[in-house]
Amino acid sequence: MAAHAVAQATLCALRQDIARIEGRLAERLEPPPGTDMTVLRHGGRAFRGGDLLATGVKAFDAALDGGLSRGALSEIHAVQTRDAGASASFTLALAALAMKERQQRSLLWIGTAEIFREAGLPYAAGLTQTFGISPEELLFADAPKLADALWIAEEATRLSALAAIVIELRGNPERLDLTATRRLHRRAGDAGRSVFLVRQAAFAEPTAAPVRLVVSPAPAALRRTLTGPLEGSLGNPAFSVSIGKSRTAAGGRFLVEWNCHDLAFQERQQTHPRRLVSLSRHGADLAPAAGAVVALETAPRRAAAGR
Amino acid sequence: MRLKRGLGLADARARHPDIDVVEADAEADRRLLVALADWCDRYTPLVAIEGEDGLFLDITGCAHLFGGEAAMVADLVRRLAEQGFDVRPGLASTPGMAWAAARFSLPAVECGEEEEALAPLPLSALRLEPAMRSGLESVGLRVVGSIIHAPRAPLARRFGKVLILRLDQALGVVEEAISPRLPVAFLSAERHFAEPLLRLEDIEQTVLMLAATLKADLERRGEGVRRLQLALFRVDGAVNRIAVGTSRPMREPGPIGRLFHERLTALGERIDAGYGFDLVRLGVLAATPFEDDQADLVASAPDGEEDMAFFTDRVRARLGEGALLRPVMVESHVPEQAVRNVPAALEPKQVVAAGGGALPAPDTEIRHAERPIRLFQRPEPVEVTAEVPEGPPAHFRWRRAAYRVVRAEGPERIAPEWWLDDGETRTRDYFRVEDMEGRRFWLYRQGLYGEAEAPRWFMQGMFA
Repeated sequence: MAAHAVAQATLCALRQDIARIEGRLAERLEPPPGTDMTVLRHGGRAFRGGDLLATGVKAFDAALDGGLSRGALSEIHAVQTRDAGASASFTLALAALAMKERQQRSLLWIGTAEIFREAGLPYAAGLTQTFGISPEELLFADAPKLADALWIAEEATRLSALAAIVIELRGNPERLDLTATRRLHRRAGDAGRSVFLVRQAAFAEPTAAPVRLVVSPAPAALRRTLTGPLEGSLGNPAFSVSIGKSRTAAGGRFLVEWNCHDLAFQERQQTHPRRLVSLSRHGADLAPAAGAVVALETAPRRAAAGR
Repeated sequence: MRLKRGLGLADARARHPDIDVVEADAEADRRLLVALADWCDRYTPLVAIEGEDGLFLDITGCAHLFGGEAAMVADLVRRLAEQGFDVRPGLASTPGMAWAAARFSLPAVECGEEEEALAPLPLSALRLEPAMRSGLESVGLRVVGSIIHAPRAPLARRFGKVLILRLDQALGVVEEAISPRLPVAFLSAERHFAEPLLRLEDIEQTVLMLAATLKADLERRGEGVRRLQLALFRVDGAVNRIAVGTSRPMREPGPIGRLFHERLTALGERIDAGYGFDLVRLGVLAATPFEDDQADLVASAPDGEEDMAFFTDRVRARLGEGALLRPVMVESHVPEQAVRNVPAALEPKQVVAAGGGALPAPDTEIRHAERPIRLFQRPEPVEVTAEVPEGPPAHFRWRRAAYRVVRAEGPERIAPEWWLDDGETRTRDYFRVEDMEGRRFWLYRQGLYGEAEAPRWFMQGMFA
């Protein structure tokens, strides 16, 4: 029995090595059943598969190899500042999931004065309604400068009272370089606390965050009534999320919906809220989308980001 | 030079053609006097400004720190002379007597010798109005000695009670309190340096040392500090005062040192060390009873985890009161007033005073229509085209970009709170709209059609 266990442990260690070489999350490897092995991460904390924040949308989680890392910096981008509503709510939805799992924790939302002026201050009444985060659990930090925002974020990662930290800023400031994000990422990793870096109107640039998601708004679902979907109504919010960078390097665009009542993500049902074109008589040969494809934007942008 | 006060400028120029004329600047004189009062803080916390050119220093209980009263006065005169001031000190046991002693260059007046010292002085030694003085002089009363023993009732009747009051104050019969310029720290620790401090690290080290000194006193009183002030006395006379607040009583030197570290880092360049600081004082401005916690045998928080209150204090020390906010629900229908973001360090009592937090918890349950997740700091005007006047917008232009509304929900009518405001506010009709790309906004039309003023449209927030 003992010999068997030792062999299993060796095997497990080898698989971890392979995972590290392949760039996967080594600590995610399940120890073989029957052994009580614990995979240790640096800092001496024990993690047993619970360090991933799964969104609950199967295809999306699969593309992220199980979900977002919990003790890590995750970047969430919006292409334009006017999409700040969508990117902020997608982040808050993730934070709400993180908070739901850890009871009695609060959320710190740090923003630079610039972004709060441009995109508006978080509104607690709406946050409670949409994400189930009560006002007592919320804390906002209005930092005059980016350096202050980063300082608050770094200091806040040590707070045990926080479930997640959101830093919101605008554009691509020079100070937020590889070093600054690396510091944040390390702090987040040491504390095992999610830090979300929300960047409005920013383009992709090399950072230490293992995951970058680009969020854009998507038409909301229809309200569901007893007699079916209510035409012309605005129901659960939806977001169109594309993976800009991840460990698995699997791209893709996902349409996810946030269910405000169950406080969970769900996949968008296939029925589109409004019919874009009428179906052809025989049900085959959908009309092609209007307009011409000018360029494939994903590939050149990646090259520009230096990856 | 033989120039006198009241001499005409032409006369002065006639005598000394190369004279420089500088306009009197009362404001600058005042600033200098205030700076000087700040500097005198090193001798006693009780410093008051007297008139245009005087300072009162209440040195009760402070003199022994400087080797006695005479040594203290000598030290003060020497240091001020080094800074280029001509000082006339007066030392006595009453403010009135000290005033006279300074003006008439008397040596230190011991307690009980006031009458003797005052008697030969002219009446101007009593801080009297010029009119009253000339009135007294017109009846032949020229020196203080002539009124000390004069019958009081006729004097008071003729010249007013102020005369008697001033006399009694100078003699010490009536207690006179000086009003100190700055709040007096009820507990303070200070350290003098022969070699001035220049580096921020040294100052921080000194703060730790002073805080350790204060700790014993705080423990004796059973209190913890809530507000601290660090006074840095520069060699050349300038004084920097840096205050930090804490959200709960504190007495450990470590955390106090870290709070000052944040504050000093934030101030950074704004603290001009010049030639260095030769006196550093840490004063307790406010303290509340400190409740000792029973230490847990099992460590409650793992290493590296620190608690929220201290984090709040540090952010506050570095970035100011308004940097860390927490939302508080307010009983109001107007969206921008329904949630107030108050400084996180505020106590519940202060929050209620600010008009928030009055709601019991169950009432915060949102029962009305959807609210946005972000609200603009002030509603932004938009140009709207609607299909029907009262209907939802069909197109709108916001921040120089055009949007086409695909779906809209509303209106939700929010009438002004007539029981609170002055009737100037107008009714609002709110619409949730979604544009072509799926952005969801909160727009409202302010005012109704048919009113004298045409309705206007505003953008107030963004939905999830």
